[in-house]
Amino acid sequence: MSGDINRQMSHMSEASSMGSDGNSSEDLEEDNDYYMDNTDDLDLDCPSKADDPEYFEYEPLQLIDAEGMLNEEIETLCTKLKVNPSTAKMLLFGHNWNKEEIIENYQRDPQGFLIESHLASRRKHDKLVGARPTCSVCCRDFTSDSFLSLACGHMFCRECWDMHFQTQIQDGVTTGIECMGKECSILVPEDFVFEVLTQPKLRDKYSKFSFNDLIKSHPRLRFCPGIDCSVIIKAKECKAKKVECQACGAIFCFKCGLNYHAPTDCAVVKKWLTKCEDDSETANYISAHTKDCPRCHVCIEKNGGCNHMQCPSCKCDFCWMCLGDWNNHGSEYYECSRYKENPNIAHESMHVQAREALKKYLFYYGRWENHAKSLQLEELTTDKIQTRTQKKVMNNEGTWIDWQYLLQAAALLKKCRYTLQYTYPYAYYMEKGSRKELFEYQQSQLESEVENLSWKVERAEIVDRGELENQMDIAEKRRQTLLKDFLEV
Amino acid sequence: MSGLPRRIIKETQRLMAEPVSGITAVPDEHNSRYFHVVVAGPSQSPYEGGLFKLELFLPEEYPMSAPKVRFMTKIYHPNIDKLGRICLDILKDKWSPALQIRTVLLSIQALLSAPNPDDPLDNNVADHWKSNEKSAIDQARQWTQTYAKSNMNNH
Repeated sequence: MSGDINRQMSHMSEASSMGSDGNSSEDLEEDNDYYMDNTDDLDLDCPSKADDPEYFEYEPLQLIDAEGMLNEEIETLCTKLKVNPSTAKMLLFGHNWNKEEIIENYQRDPQGFLIESHLASRRKHDKLVGARPTCSVCCRDFTSDSFLSLACGHMFCRECWDMHFQTQIQDGVTTGIECMGKECSILVPEDFVFEVLTQPKLRDKYSKFSFNDLIKSHPRLRFCPGIDCSVIIKAKECKAKKVECQACGAIFCFKCGLNYHAPTDCAVVKKWLTKCEDDSETANYISAHTKDCPRCHVCIEKNGGCNHMQCPSCKCDFCWMCLGDWNNHGSEYYECSRYKENPNIAHESMHVQAREALKKYLFYYGRWENHAKSLQLEELTTDKIQTRTQKKVMNNEGTWIDWQYLLQAAALLKKCRYTLQYTYPYAYYMEKGSRKELFEYQQSQLESEVENLSWKVERAEIVDRGELENQMDIAEKRRQTLLKDFLEV
Repeated sequence: MSGLPRRIIKETQRLMAEPVSGITAVPDEHNSRYFHVVVAGPSQSPYEGGLFKLELFLPEEYPMSAPKVRFMTKIYHPNIDKLGRICLDILKDKWSPALQIRTVLLSIQALLSAPNPDDPLDNNVADHWKSNEKSAIDQARQWTQTYAKSNMNNH
């Protein structure tokens, strides 16, 4: 089979080289058209934009590109409003980089808008008065050239401004530095800071911190949260969608920067993670790392991601989560993912209700945590597949391309289980009702297929390729269905 | 007082020469940045008739950073906790180098007149204040009698 492909490839390259030998520009154009027009073909394997609930357009930027992009926006505003770059920067920072809104408001009432943006003052503070005016911060005498003020007119000596900036920058404040005046909230623009600030080290710090502030305030830019990753992601719109950093591999939500969390939304996942941080000690204590076989009671450590367990000793099949018979986990009766609430709970005492609440949380937390662990273990399975593929190729059992489907299956399994993991916080916070029932039904369908896929991936060598690919398709379809119905963005 | 910034010297001089009514602030004889403060409970407040001891310290960065102030006398107040720490915006993010020891102490005095249970430091006291203001004020008055009277003898 591999030989065929190679032969075909060489044939194709011959053909194309012959075409270019002919050197006819028409031919080239035709070729171009052929490739340009059929962009649809490229999407054959992935669902089209409209169909894919996770579709999101974004691109990675390097620091320098992001800086260029911000500078361009700043310049546009400068020319449009005839203000200096420092003012433009502060306006954009203070108004979520909404240029249209800024221009509209500024043109309607320039002074009013600057006041609202803390860049101008309603009433100008009196200039220094008295026979021997002093700086009110250091109490030293006033010498004409060393006194500076912002638009508000609060006069202080250069040394005091410098000290003020040093203290603020050391506290991590840059774009938010305010005038030193009492109850004055006028912001200090960058050019004023740089005119005064003496220490080169702090000047660098100011530049760095204020750039970070600008990026963080920009709704269409986000720092990649990956460790030591300097990539900045640029998106068309600020939505809670999935971003995968090409540089470091981090997968995160564009809107909140946390780990990607579909179908759960940003606020709920944050609540859930905080809850887990607070309560997980108990949960950890309760969910041990090993379990006993429900039939022969031999102690079993889970060393793979699949939750369909087969006891090595008595060969019985059971579910790792509920310890029930795996035969009851066929797709029709799969109920393991559903939490069964005590129907009489309202009539029970506070104590019982609290226990019930803990039980409910532990149910969801246990499954959330278990899928997270399975993901880690399946990472090892991927490594194993990689080594085995290598070995096979070395032994001339097919080419590297022939075995790619195994890696694809492992990657898809990871993707499906990841979504499955994030269905648990969603379900935990859902109100009881028909929508929850539908959600839990789809969740159970997804879970059942993910476990089937996991079982097959772990035994990939003895599973037929067609069967595995069929299972991949089913699992991904379940995942897509669930996201289409419940992912709200 | 050598090595002390001119600003602190000036402020100290003015505090001694023109004291604020109801407030005394005296620098420690060994440390000119440390002040012994006594604030009289404002009239028509549950703290009326009490004298409250505070400590005030000017950190190295003063006036770029706010002074550190703490109640030494026990007080029942939603914005002051068991350790005497004070929840006051100008001591934190609203600090401005143009503010002074004098203005800080005036603000603390004002805080005694107008407790703010919606921005609490001590949740228990704040809850008491919100659920039963009369009973909370009685408690504050009682604490004033118990803690803010006797310890003034040795001051």
